[in-house]
Amino acid sequence: MKTLVFIQIRDDKIEENTLGILNKIKTSISGAKIIGALLGKDLKDEWIQELGLHGVQQVVTVDLPDLEFYLSATYSKTMMEIINQVNPKFVVAAGTVYGEDLIPRLAVKNASSCAQRIVDFTIEGDSLHFHTPVRDDQAMKITQVVGDIIFATSRPGAFFVDENPSGATPEIMSISVAFNDADKLVKHIEIKKAERTVNLKDAKVIVAAGRGVAGKENFQIIRELADLLGGQIGATRACTDVHWIEETYEIGQTGQSVSPDLYIAAGISGAPQHMSGVKAKTLIVINTDEGAPIINYADYAIIGDMHTILPILKEKLK
Amino acid sequence: MKIVVFIQQIVSTQVKLQGVDYFDASRVSDDDLVINPTDKNAIEGALKLKDSQGAEVTAVCVRGNKPNKALKEAIAMGCTNAIEIADEAFYTDDPYLLAKIYVKALEKIGEYDLVLLGVEEQSSSSFAAPAMLAEMLNIPSVLYAEEMETIDTGFRVGHVLEGGKKVVAIPQKALVSCSDSQYFIPRYTTMRGILAAKKAVIPIWSASDLGLEISEINADAASLKQISLTNIVIEKETFLIKEGEPEEMVDKLLAKLKEDEVKLGAC
Ligand SMILES: Cc1cc2nc3c(=O)[nH]c(=O)nc-3n(C[C@H](O)[C@H](O)[C@H](O)COP(=O)(O)OP(=O)(O)OC[C@H]3O[C@@H](n4cnc5c(N)ncnc54)[C@H](O)[C@@H]3O)c2cc1C
Ligand SMILES: Nc1ncnc2c1ncn2[C@@H]1O[C@H](COP(=O)(O)O)[C@@H](O)[C@H]1O
Repeated sequence: MKTLVFIQIRDDKIEENTLGILNKIKTSISGAKIIGALLGKDLKDEWIQELGLHGVQQVVTVDLPDLEFYLSATYSKTMMEIINQVNPKFVVAAGTVYGEDLIPRLAVKNASSCAQRIVDFTIEGDSLHFHTPVRDDQAMKITQVVGDIIFATSRPGAFFVDENPSGATPEIMSISVAFNDADKLVKHIEIKKAERTVNLKDAKVIVAAGRGVAGKENFQIIRELADLLGGQIGATRACTDVHWIEETYEIGQTGQSVSPDLYIAAGISGAPQHMSGVKAKTLIVINTDEGAPIINYADYAIIGDMHTILPILKEKLK
Repeated sequence: MKIVVFIQQIVSTQVKLQGVDYFDASRVSDDDLVINPTDKNAIEGALKLKDSQGAEVTAVCVRGNKPNKALKEAIAMGCTNAIEIADEAFYTDDPYLLAKIYVKALEKIGEYDLVLLGVEEQSSSSFAAPAMLAEMLNIPSVLYAEEMETIDTGFRVGHVLEGGKKVVAIPQKALVSCSDSQYFIPRYTTMRGILAAKKAVIPIWSASDLGLEISEINADAASLKQISLTNIVIEKETFLIKEGEPEEMVDKLLAKLKEDEVKLGAC
């Protein structure tokens, strides 16, 4: 099956979830021809080599100043050009903000729908069955996309990266695309990169808070608990969005990924975008709402007010 | 300015369907029907513009059981008008068909400047409708917005991005999907709004009112086909502490952690 993968670059490297998709395709579609679509400005040869290692047989490159930043119109137009040239059967991207923007547009340009946020797929005859968790991960929906070309995005964190890739140098095909004013109605202003001053990846213990913390000053107790346990603090985007805490502490799809032995989550509802960054051996939850989705993931949960529970916990741990 | 907000009504994800028949509609009461959370954020985005510069805000609901309830709530929050779009033939589990219905709704509404939606439909976990609609309308768009600011040429919008935030400028005629950020936290309904909602006459448009053939929007027309839907049975057992004084709860937790030999410190 000819498969076109939208390659995403982040921090000057090929983004993890994209590598995860490559591994999944390589291991589950036998005889797949994997083509990578690499768009941008000043594309690097090392990325192409890395794609080859991870199983990409052909890389289509489009290196243009107008592609320096992702914009829906320029990127979807370029991807259509690539699709027309390579004729794939399956087009897939990691379900990042960009991937989820791009794939539905391509599907519409091909007059069909798409499967989003898949965590798995299986091959049934000559079609693909997509697995998507729905309703805050309460149920699993299996779908099929009908069309000449099948479009899908993966859920971040769904697929593992091959740690020992062994592919060869890919074939390179370079194409060009022309844009007009109508393609540039959305203007890029800036990317505000979150400063990553603290690395949470190796933390063994993390005490994290969400919107329930209800204010900047309340992070004090989170810090104290973390210090007491010799760990780090963490937060949801809801907290970094309002600057209750520095952006470096954001955990999840758009923040850092963590895998501590112990994760204490207070005032966090457990949105998939947060949970996709958390792989903890033990999860302790403090939440006022027994219906919060995070309870489903918890090993231990106290249904109560974090503002009263945490100080008591701190005293008892001393 | 004319703003159209598309909202969906879902069965609240607080209603746990684990272990029960997922399709048992008898388990769902009116109280369980809510406006899809981020769609409420979109209403807030529209109302902020209405407050600051005046706007006619029309809420439109296509998807869900008894959409009238969601639309009344939208008016109670401050929307100017509401339109219900309903037809037994509609199959809205495919975002492509849903976006197609939205396109027709906008054609019938006529003039509009800005189209707002939420970022995801929480119950079906579909993220595709906003991007599909923008593509079908062929208008500039920004997804996953976290804040909006009016500028001479339209709007300056900050949106969610892995590793930070991205800021773009869009013209006034555009589509924006709104996320769960502080800027879009929805307001409560007001007494005045609730009275307005009581009086409001909400038209109902059917497929034929929109000029849609049944064969274009029914389940057979879907290109995203559902094969199955099953409960995820979570094997993980949660030790749940929900009774007692706070101190007792903490004691219970610590005792259980000790019994399970969970190490609390990093060293
Ligand atoms: C594309 C995209 C990417 C995203 N990436 C991320 C990401 O990387 N990381 C991330 O975190 N989010 C991310 N988000 C946002 C995410 O969807 C949620 O909006 C966010 O995680 C919610 O944060 P929260 O749990 O703190 O807030 P809420 O969902 O508002 O939950 C607050 C919780 O606190 C509880 N609570 C309230 N008061 C108390 C109290 N006194 N004591 C105890 N509990 C209390 C409530 O019951 C509730 O469960 C992303 C969103 C999008 C669209
Ligand atoms: N409690 C429920 N009872 C019946 N059907 C449900 C329930 N929850 C979800 N569904 C199904 O899931 C789809 C999406 O639900 P909704 O939350 O209304 O958008 C519906 O069309 C139903 O098929």
